Amino acid sequence: MMLGFDVIGFLISWLTLFGTYAILSMSLNLEIGFTGMADFGKVAFYGIGAYLAATITAFTFLFVNGIKCPLHSVEAIVALKECASKNPALNVSIFVLCILITFIITGAIGYLISYPTLRVGPAFLGITVLSFGELLRIFMRHFEPTGGTKGLAGIPHPLAWIPDPRLRDGIYAAIVLVVMLLTYLLSEKIANSPFGRLMRTVRDDEIATLCLGKHVPRIKAAVFFLASGLAGIAGVLLAYYLGSVNPDMFVPAVTFNVWAMVIFGGMGNNKGALIGSAIITFVDRISFVVNLLFPQAIISPDYIRWMIVGLLILITLLFKPQGLMPETPIKTLALTAVAEESGGEENA
Amino acid sequence: MIGPTEVLNTIWIGIIYMIIALPLTLSYKVTRIINFVHINFITIGAYVGVILFLLGVNSLLLVIPASFLFGAAIAVLNHFIAFSPLEKRGANPVILMIASLGLWIFYKYVVYAFLDLGQKVFRTNLFSVIPRATSLPDVSVGGYVLSGHFFAAILVAGVILGVLYLLLSKTSVGRAIRAVADNPTLAEISGIPKERVVSITWALCGGMAAVGGLLWAVFAIATPEVGDALILQIFAVSVIGGLESLLWTGIGAFIISGAENILMSLLNAVLGVPVSFRPFISFSALLLIILVKPPLGAGGGLPYRFKIVRHYKR
Amino acid sequence: MLEVIDLARYFGGIKALDGVSLKVKKGSIVGLIGPNGSGKTTLFNVVTGFYEPTRGEVWFNGERIDGLNPNEIYLKGLVRTFQIPRLFQSLSVLENVLVTPPHQIGESPLNALFKKKWANQEMNLARQAFNILKMLGLAPYTNIKVSDLSAAHIKLLETARGLMGGAKLLLLDEPTAGVAYTTARELFDFIVKLRDEKGLTFFIIEHRLEVLMDYVEYVYVLHNGKLLSEGKPDEVVEDKKVIEAYIGEG
Repeated sequence: MMLGFDVIGFLISWLTLFGTYAILSMSLNLEIGFTGMADFGKVAFYGIGAYLAATITAFTFLFVNGIKCPLHSVEAIVALKECASKNPALNVSIFVLCILITFIITGAIGYLISYPTLRVGPAFLGITVLSFGELLRIFMRHFEPTGGTKGLAGIPHPLAWIPDPRLRDGIYAAIVLVVMLLTYLLSEKIANSPFGRLMRTVRDDEIATLCLGKHVPRIKAAVFFLASGLAGIAGVLLAYYLGSVNPDMFVPAVTFNVWAMVIFGGMGNNKGALIGSAIITFVDRISFVVNLLFPQAIISPDYIRWMIVGLLILITLLFKPQGLMPETPIKTLALTAVAEESGGEENA
Repeated sequence: MIGPTEVLNTIWIGIIYMIIALPLTLSYKVTRIINFVHINFITIGAYVGVILFLLGVNSLLLVIPASFLFGAAIAVLNHFIAFSPLEKRGANPVILMIASLGLWIFYKYVVYAFLDLGQKVFRTNLFSVIPRATSLPDVSVGGYVLSGHFFAAILVAGVILGVLYLLLSKTSVGRAIRAVADNPTLAEISGIPKERVVSITWALCGGMAAVGGLLWAVFAIATPEVGDALILQIFAVSVIGGLESLLWTGIGAFIISGAENILMSLLNAVLGVPVSFRPFISFSALLLIILVKPPLGAGGGLPYRFKIVRHYKR
Repeated sequence: MLEVIDLARYFGGIKALDGVSLKVKKGSIVGLIGPNGSGKTTLFNVVTGFYEPTRGEVWFNGERIDGLNPNEIYLKGLVRTFQIPRLFQSLSVLENVLVTPPHQIGESPLNALFKKKWANQEMNLARQAFNILKMLGLAPYTNIKVSDLSAAHIKLLETARGLMGGAKLLLLDEPTAGVAYTTARELFDFIVKLRDEKGLTFFIIEHRLEVLMDYVEYVYVLHNGKLLSEGKPDEVVEDKKVIEAYIGEG
């Protein structure tokens, strides 16, 4: 079995997974690392993103090709497979469109769900979004138009028109990494702006921030909009990568994974979030391979893996609370201004 | 539509919610930590029962204390290995909450791993099992057959709540617990050993939640997710009490339980809402409370009000 | 400038504030004293929108402000400091001051993405902030994290923050707590200077009567949530009721 181990395939799948999770952890980092909001329901927005992409894509393809059948039916899956590679322009434009639409819709949902809970203590936001995610999953399990527990399948890949599957997956991984890079640049820009300063003041002391005339609920909800929107984009990327979605892909455990990445990597540092997600997704892929090698283990390696995730969060908090990469000060323009000012004085 | 079944369910579920939610409120009052391990107490308490019944221990009188001790031990352990060191370092409530999240995940999968092993030892399905003592007979009341466990559970719950009440109101330990809950700094200044009081509170709360989990499993079912499945309801109950008032937490237990059973069956009969949507009721209740009467003081929140104030210039 | 009419705030059965009326004139320095638990901080909390009053009115510059949220009240120019300073621990001294100016361009998440839009304003504000720090003798600490600052400097920094935000009336809650006697006098000298130069108004809670009484023009004394006495400092010191209230506490 080891002999047939496909290194390139492994790398491609790891990079795709890494890119997706890195976007999630950077979005969580905006919330917990910079703003101090405990979002225990990350998976909800990830799931909404994935479902939106799957539904929109499947619907559009069937509609454009004039096929009339329920989205989750076997006919639909067969039909989607047939028409997936007919028109490259359609594939790509739907992909881009899905990313934009998803960002706005998941962001708006995040804004609405967070706004009422933002003025109550941190626990309530956590509990509310945690249960929101679970309820959404229960709802999707019973919601027939998107296939209930079975979900949707056969979603046309944006690059389905590339015949070689290896090349297709490789390019897709590159696209995911580019989106990840854009997310990184965006978060860095936000974090090092006056708005980023406000995020940190909210984290340090939200009451003092409110007493300094800042509209704290609005700041928090704006961050939640952005972070939820980004999580939605990660969901879109996942849906296309797997080609299918179902409710049980979006269990709370996904959220915990992201939390472990952010805490281990370093709260309030985007590079930390990247490193955290790189390490944990790598271990994840490796343990997947190990799982295949030892199907008859006494205790499922899966459980051990999750125990480690829990311990990792706790041990990092106990012994290295700043994580692998501690938060760095804001890269600020202000200091240059001050340097000019005091420098000028010395000369005079 | 609303038959004796709904009423009976409301009663026993309400009682069990009470037994699980009261310690959540109490532990928050004393330690100011939102403790996600509360979920594990429930699951572990239930499985202590499952394992003991499997081993042939057939008396609730033995199983319940065992469950209590297990929950209590874990709660105290958490305090010493995680919460206390973190608090000494000055970690804020969010960090403490995240630490409890880490512990929650850890214990949850410890249970999974243990059951995985246990399945191989006991050769039965442990992932979904009803722990029942065979020694309790069923009772027939007015044509309805009620399991002996129903009365046993109500009895046990009554005893626990009575003991909790007496402990908090009549003993010096209880007075110390309440003093720490009201004002930790003042309590410490006036010579109350805060560290010990906090440990006792954890033991009490962990144990009680574990017994609650056991009682729940006796009626419903024990799965590794049994605690996770209850978290929303339990939090809704505690939020009704504002994470502050034990009395209102108790009342809240019956409000949520009533909404889940009586209101649900009404919705089902009148509007045809499927019963599987039951958790949505608790969620709506939770959101409603947070919007209308948020527990601002206790939960640590912003002094921000959504309402619009209009004043006229002089 | 500030007028409080029959203000009350109850917590359950406890009357933390029970019908207090007072006035603070523009350009004056007014003291608020009273034994522990007499309702001084509660009064500040209600005036600045922290709590809603149970009864009564608060007027500021001819506008009624009770029931507004703390951020709205701040924007009207009524700025408070806290008994235990609430600074942003992970930010530098400079940034702590830079946060305060209201309505900054880069504070909108959309504008934040375009550095060009906010860079200019940011540079100007930074210069302004630095000058305030210099005035308070905090210039050497500009880029130091607040968590590494000494207690006296922290108190000064809170005042600096108040000045930067365009305050008209400053409510100071025990500005000299935990500060050496001479530093306390320096701080009050500075307050007087600010009043004279910038026309600010001050309303100050203070436990150190020996310092306070030398600087304020008018003093209100609270006791058990009610106004016990008021007047010029030397009048109040002579007041038997006040002396009794303070002795009763000791």
